[in-house]
Amino acid sequence: MPVGAQNEMQNGVKVALGRRYRFSASHRLHSAAFSEEENERVYGKCNNPHGHGHNYMLEVLVSGAVDPATGMIANLADLDGFVERVVLEPFDHRSLNEEVAAFRNKVPTTENLCIEIFERLKSFPKAKLERVRVQETSNNSFEYAGDHPGESIGPIR
Amino acid sequence: MRPERSGEKSYYKSNAMVLLTRKIEFAASHFYHNPDFSQEENRRVFGKCNNPHGHGHNYSLEVTVAGEPDPVTGMVLDLKDLKEILEREVMQRMDHRHLNYEVPELAGRIPTCENMARVIWDLLEPQIKQGKLHRVRLYETPDLFADCYRNGSAGAMA
Repeated sequence: MPVGAQNEMQNGVKVALGRRYRFSASHRLHSAAFSEEENERVYGKCNNPHGHGHNYMLEVLVSGAVDPATGMIANLADLDGFVERVVLEPFDHRSLNEEVAAFRNKVPTTENLCIEIFERLKSFPKAKLERVRVQETSNNSFEYAGDHPGESIGPIR
Repeated sequence: MRPERSGEKSYYKSNAMVLLTRKIEFAASHFYHNPDFSQEENRRVFGKCNNPHGHGHNYSLEVTVAGEPDPVTGMVLDLKDLKEILEREVMQRMDHRHLNYEVPELAGRIPTCENMARVIWDLLEPQIKQGKLHRVRLYETPDLFADCYRNGSAGAMA
């Protein structure tokens, strides 16, 4: 077993751990700033007052030093437990508009959902949150890497 | 800069970096155990992965190379070459092997996704002669992966 702390980056190479989670939730896209016609025009079907739902896929990427004793950036049990507590439990099988305080006055688009999830996860104590990606359907996904992602933002493929 | 022939419409910009990704799959067994830990500690830290009889995964490896397409061949690098490199460096070392016992590069390391991605990066980087190794992404299951990339590159993105 190699002894001593391993640098977070050896020769400038970084390792990150990615984990995917799933939750199902309903939402309605509607802005109080718009008239009924405007809401209808801007959000289309997503403005249906009864709402609709999605099977969301959340991808969380964290980075940090790989602990030589465990071979891990963060213990998955810790990451899973944290994501379960701060995101899955409050979001899964809920109405985002009605049951998540952040969306009382904010439209629960997946862009805003990404930002909300990032804000909730960034205090994960065991590793650095790099970014979150939320897939709303198999055809759309959204990513957020925080306010100052610096150079880590690049071409998406 | 490639000299532009008069009348030729140059929509292939020079300095246009392109990312090329090749995927391979391999199957291997492993277990997590640190001889410095007590039996209880091993069990607590590694859970089911500590089972000394081991278990296995179908690993999926995505290797991304960045570069400018060669003006003559239109390639960042020849996929045939990349395929051979991956066969030699990764498949022959790891496919249908026990990662704890049969891969010298992993000796003394817990064969986690993180450590494997790093070992694969170190194996591949010197072999890529055209373009530059941009990212190694190793999936242990469809819901768990490790990424390896140069800090500051775009590798962090999906």
